[in-house]
Amino acid sequence: MTLLHRRLTKSDLLELITTAPTETVHLSDEHRVSLSTRFRAVSVPGHRRLDAWGVERAGRAGSTFRWSPASARRVLGNASLRRMTTRPVSVRDAVRDELGDQMLRATSGYSRSGSLSHWLASAPHPVIGLVTAEAVNWATQLQEIGQWLEVPWEVASSDAYYDVASARTTLRARRDLVVRAEETRTIVRVRSGSPGKSAGPGLRADLTIEALADHDGVAPVRYVGLWPDAGVCLAVDGTMSDLRSGARDLVRTAVAQRRSGVPLAA
Amino acid sequence: MTSVLDSSRVSVVEAMRGDRTKRPLIDIASAGGLRSLLEDGIYEILGATRLDAPLVVRAASLQQRFAITDLTMSSAGRIRGVLIGQLLRLLSVGMSIDHAFDDAVSAWRGDVGTNELIVCLDALDHDERARLATDVDAHYVTLTRALGDIPAHWLPRSCVRTTQRLAGGSVVLRDVIDLLIGTSTSEVASIALFDVTTSPLGEGAERSMRYHALMQTLRTSVMPLRTCTFSSATGEIWIRDVDYELLARSVEDVLANIRDQWSAT
Repeated sequence: MTLLHRRLTKSDLLELITTAPTETVHLSDEHRVSLSTRFRAVSVPGHRRLDAWGVERAGRAGSTFRWSPASARRVLGNASLRRMTTRPVSVRDAVRDELGDQMLRATSGYSRSGSLSHWLASAPHPVIGLVTAEAVNWATQLQEIGQWLEVPWEVASSDAYYDVASARTTLRARRDLVVRAEETRTIVRVRSGSPGKSAGPGLRADLTIEALADHDGVAPVRYVGLWPDAGVCLAVDGTMSDLRSGARDLVRTAVAQRRSGVPLAA
Repeated sequence: MTSVLDSSRVSVVEAMRGDRTKRPLIDIASAGGLRSLLEDGIYEILGATRLDAPLVVRAASLQQRFAITDLTMSSAGRIRGVLIGQLLRLLSVGMSIDHAFDDAVSAWRGDVGTNELIVCLDALDHDERARLATDVDAHYVTLTRALGDIPAHWLPRSCVRTTQRLAGGSVVLRDVIDLLIGTSTSEVASIALFDVTTSPLGEGAERSMRYHALMQTLRTSVMPLRTCTFSSATGEIWIRDVDYELLARSVEDVLANIRDQWSAT
């Protein structure tokens, strides 16, 4: 297993990016079939969604999701930074533009109940202010991290999703920045708080899902998890053993979820 | 440097930024030394003991070394502090605030849903609530007069959280910086830390200022330019340039607090 632990400094982060392995590992159709078989063996009546957070919590149920300034910051912050990479605009203005677009989507009837747009459209003015503040924090932080990299990077267009065939299971991997170099890619994922003891398995789960979500099954050469609040970063290389570990942890989480009767996704 | 801004029109943010031509080069070398000082100091106190429940240090822990009655820690005082914090967040992104108290309460509810303090707020009778609203309005006026506009290109961030685990997790340092401006990517130090308190400034505020600077240094490995604390009760502001000596004093404050907590167990 390759789990690298560094302080979150410009030099350490840059080293993690530039010293990433150069050879890529591929997941084949056989790997996908094998994973699907394992998930099918852990059958559930509804549809289940698994991610790194579930792996880190060993399948235990968390509190019910609700939109709040904190839960909206990443979606809005990443979208705002994406705007800033296409045209020069301040972080604050980019966030306001993004909020405006989101609310326009709701008023024009293109958002469904429970979506971020829907929640924003009904939120009072001061809450919108707080959402702006949280998104500005996130986008500014991510922009600084991007500036540290000194290599071309892009904001991920979305998280990585993979539907496991015939297993009524969707896997989701968080990704925030993507660094591409010729045939390889390194993924940077940012999380609030500080890493727990199971942060490494969580990162490996993200690595595996990211590889599965790639249509050619190409794994990123390195997956870097950043915890700016704690000033630390962890990284895991895209090796076959790490991919296998990630897949095993996901299946184990599905088993733990079934045993504990965690409510499944609608 | 101590300034009373009630009568002057000097912007706090301008004062924090200071003379741009006199900023020192960015210091990225001190963080490691400070961390070692902390780790060594903690080892002298705890030895090789691994604690199941970590000792937690916060800025509030450093405010007073001895247990004394503090009216700002009453429920009303805490609610007032939280509401002023919410208003600062709204001001940091240039939001217009029409009714300070109502807007702050609305933002707070949207942020945390419900908690013990919100229950206390809801339990206030009409007179108590009106008194609190007037109090918050007064603090808000003092804050806005001093703060002025915060330009977006100074990259203001509010409620910035920091957590540091030391001694293998036996000690956890936590901090929330009310407002942070500047960037850690420039070649000169430019990060300024702003803390707002609804109580008058005292010795504890000095320790808090140092602690914020220490935590920011440990978090980013970049020493901030200045740290300041502002009292919305008196309009007084203390601003300190950050240097190694100030941070080393904060390390001593933290170690003293850990020693107190450890001896009390």
